[in-house]
Amino acid sequence: MWGLRSSRTVVLLAAAAAFVIVCVLPLVDMLAAIVRPSTGAAALRTALLDSRQLSLLSTTMIVGLGTATLATLIGAPLGFVLARITLPYKAALRIALAAPAVLPPYVVALALIAAAGDVAFTAGGAIVVLTVVFYPLTMLATEAGVRRVDPRLEDAGLLVATPACVLRRITWPLVLPTVTSAALVIFVLAISEFSVPGLLRVRVFTTEVFTAFAALYDFGLATVLSLPLLIVSVGVAACAAIVLGDRLVTARRSVGGAPGDAFDAWRPAAAVAAGVVIVAMLIVPVTVLVGEAARSTSISALIWNSRRAVVNSLALAMVGATAATLLAACLGYARARATATAGSALDALWVVLFAVPSTVVGIGLIGIWNRTGVFGVLYGTPAMLVLAYLARLVPVCALAIGATIRTVPESHEEAAATAGAGWMRTMTQIVLPQVRSGLLAAWVVAFILAFGEVGTSILVAPPGESTLPIRVYTLIANAPPGDAAALAVVQTVVILCPLALLGIASTHRRPA
Amino acid sequence: MVCAAAIAAAFFSGCRGGNGPAREVTAYVSADRPFSEPIMQEYQRRSGVRVSVVYDTEETKSTGLANRLLAEMQRPQADVFWSNEPVRTLVLQTRQALAPYQSPAAQGIADVFRDPEGYWTGFSARYRVIVYNTARVQAAEAPQSIFDLADPRWKGQVAIADPRFGSTSFHVAALYAELGDERADDYFRKLRANDVKIVDGNSVVRDMVARGDALVGLTDTDDVNVAIEAKQPVAMVVPDRGGIGVPVMPNMVSLIAGAPHPDEGKRLIDYLLSPEVERALAESDAVQIPLRPGVAGPQNIPPISSFKPMTLNYAKAAARVDDVTKRLAAILGL
Repeated sequence: MWGLRSSRTVVLLAAAAAFVIVCVLPLVDMLAAIVRPSTGAAALRTALLDSRQLSLLSTTMIVGLGTATLATLIGAPLGFVLARITLPYKAALRIALAAPAVLPPYVVALALIAAAGDVAFTAGGAIVVLTVVFYPLTMLATEAGVRRVDPRLEDAGLLVATPACVLRRITWPLVLPTVTSAALVIFVLAISEFSVPGLLRVRVFTTEVFTAFAALYDFGLATVLSLPLLIVSVGVAACAAIVLGDRLVTARRSVGGAPGDAFDAWRPAAAVAAGVVIVAMLIVPVTVLVGEAARSTSISALIWNSRRAVVNSLALAMVGATAATLLAACLGYARARATATAGSALDALWVVLFAVPSTVVGIGLIGIWNRTGVFGVLYGTPAMLVLAYLARLVPVCALAIGATIRTVPESHEEAAATAGAGWMRTMTQIVLPQVRSGLLAAWVVAFILAFGEVGTSILVAPPGESTLPIRVYTLIANAPPGDAAALAVVQTVVILCPLALLGIASTHRRPA
Repeated sequence: MVCAAAIAAAFFSGCRGGNGPAREVTAYVSADRPFSEPIMQEYQRRSGVRVSVVYDTEETKSTGLANRLLAEMQRPQADVFWSNEPVRTLVLQTRQALAPYQSPAAQGIADVFRDPEGYWTGFSARYRVIVYNTARVQAAEAPQSIFDLADPRWKGQVAIADPRFGSTSFHVAALYAELGDERADDYFRKLRANDVKIVDGNSVVRDMVARGDALVGLTDTDDVNVAIEAKQPVAMVVPDRGGIGVPVMPNMVSLIAGAPHPDEGKRLIDYLLSPEVERALAESDAVQIPLRPGVAGPQNIPPISSFKPMTLNYAKAAARVDDVTKRLAAILGL
């Protein structure tokens, strides 16, 4: 259909090159640290064969699977509600339900400790905290997925079946790949998160990696200790691939196919559920946070002194999310149009890259970019923060967008090619418009994650510059009571404002 | 994507302004930001040198600056490293990331706080102290020695920070250097048998004691002072003043090997070692104790000259950190 000399080849090769440089090379640089003489092979063998590995594996799996399951149980029904059930003030409801994603996980953990005491210091506590901040990702992904399901299929089903049966037999199977992708992303996010298990004293692989860095300053050992994390991620990704197969979802929303009122009988239950989630996941943690922030005696000075960090965070997260979405769209397209085997391999690669602990990525980025020549030009500038966001987020965006683009039948491209359209025109006028809600969801997720990123950013932030999360993080220790909480509130409000505007704008463009 | 990064770089470079001072210095600072930032800002204001700072804190368990300095060794970006405890500086010295500089401003600071070869110089110190909850523990009953914390009387009521990290790692290494392996192992076994609570950081120790979740704990002077200033029900005991001695942890400042602006780096070091900075740190909420006898210290904290320091051979203590980290992981089940 598209020849080797088509613009498709050029774009995809350029995207692949950028992906390798930005995302793969830092990990390769860290893997090279394993074979450096300073890291003894015997020491590494001891580290990996340590009897504690089994306990670390089980706790890591409990935290990862527990968070993915709980977040899916909460997020997927809410995503369906937002896509298919008529509710008043839906734009505001969506923003309130998505808002917990912007709460710093560390701060939510502090709120849980304040509320629950010693009970918080368990794997269950870690699961609760991580679910609070990650379930909106499932919700947004599910909403985007359900909106892509042609409502006429459901309407046809309702002629002979109940709404529950239609949901179970038609809607759910069509949206399952999207939900599974989101669950996989959350699993990887949960097992690669350090701050929450670290604070709650839950020993998982990331806390071991941290110890190798912070107590032993041993890059090789830290990278070796990351390997089980990567293996677990690949294992879970493989299981998901086996469960789903190479399922192609051909349903899509056609022009004028607005959702009907098939599921509106569930409106009261949906409203109650959304209210309960908002109270438990947003109002309770924010109340604790605001209560703590009220103890600050210098909120105005704090905000004034953080203005540059706020501007940096907003601008860099927007640039980073946009660049990550563009690159991921190219990579996701390549994955969607690859053979089943190559596609699964790409998914596995993205999962592995996404699971690499943030500190390992940060040290790898320094190794790649802090050198003389072309690479070194960007080092020491804010561009490193954008590169850090790309290194962390392109894999997850590619995973999500790849799943979305697979819902666009290849026959659409064939028809366009037959009509004489070039690949670029086909992409911009046929393929991407069909997945714009998925692209928007990926951008929002990338923006949220970029805005809150600390682990990698703190290692590559240029001297004299800071992002708001870094400022909060470095003020937590020994700042006057309430200051860090006050800044965390500011951080939450600052990121919510553009998301709220985006949510309102997108709502006006589609039926509620 | 690299273009996007380049655009971001150009945009933010533009934001910095093109008419700024030509002289510049870059410092990596792991002293707590609320205390160190005003000092760096004052130096910039006074000297006219643009001071670019990367802040971090071991308290929040970032793996930040020491690892960053090690990763950047091929092409150093920093001129000066200001650490709030000795371990990381000595790790960097061992890995040859530091350059010698004998600052003339170090005059008046005792030799024991200065590396003979000039790889680091100490200034303003903190003590490791016992914090206790004043609402539930009378001053006369508060433990006066760290060994009292292993007494069954305090079973389940003692909190310490994870001894593999931060200033606690220095403290336990100093204990091993002072007591010998057998006695130190025995002490930590007793602490574990006493159900010691190992928490995420020294400020967490302080907060737990303030809330009454633990009655006593081991932490740093500056952590306790923050709670005292906030009128929380805590007080501190400087332990073992007549026994094995008080653990004293100076800040350390060093010049980075291959620093891009070595001369400006040296000038910044001279400033940080000045009596004025010691005075400012003593008067701030950091309540850091001046190493110079002539500089007034914070109220309510005894000067170094009033007791016997526990160990002042920092290199000896720091050399034990790796080994002690592994021993304690087994003993305390970390």
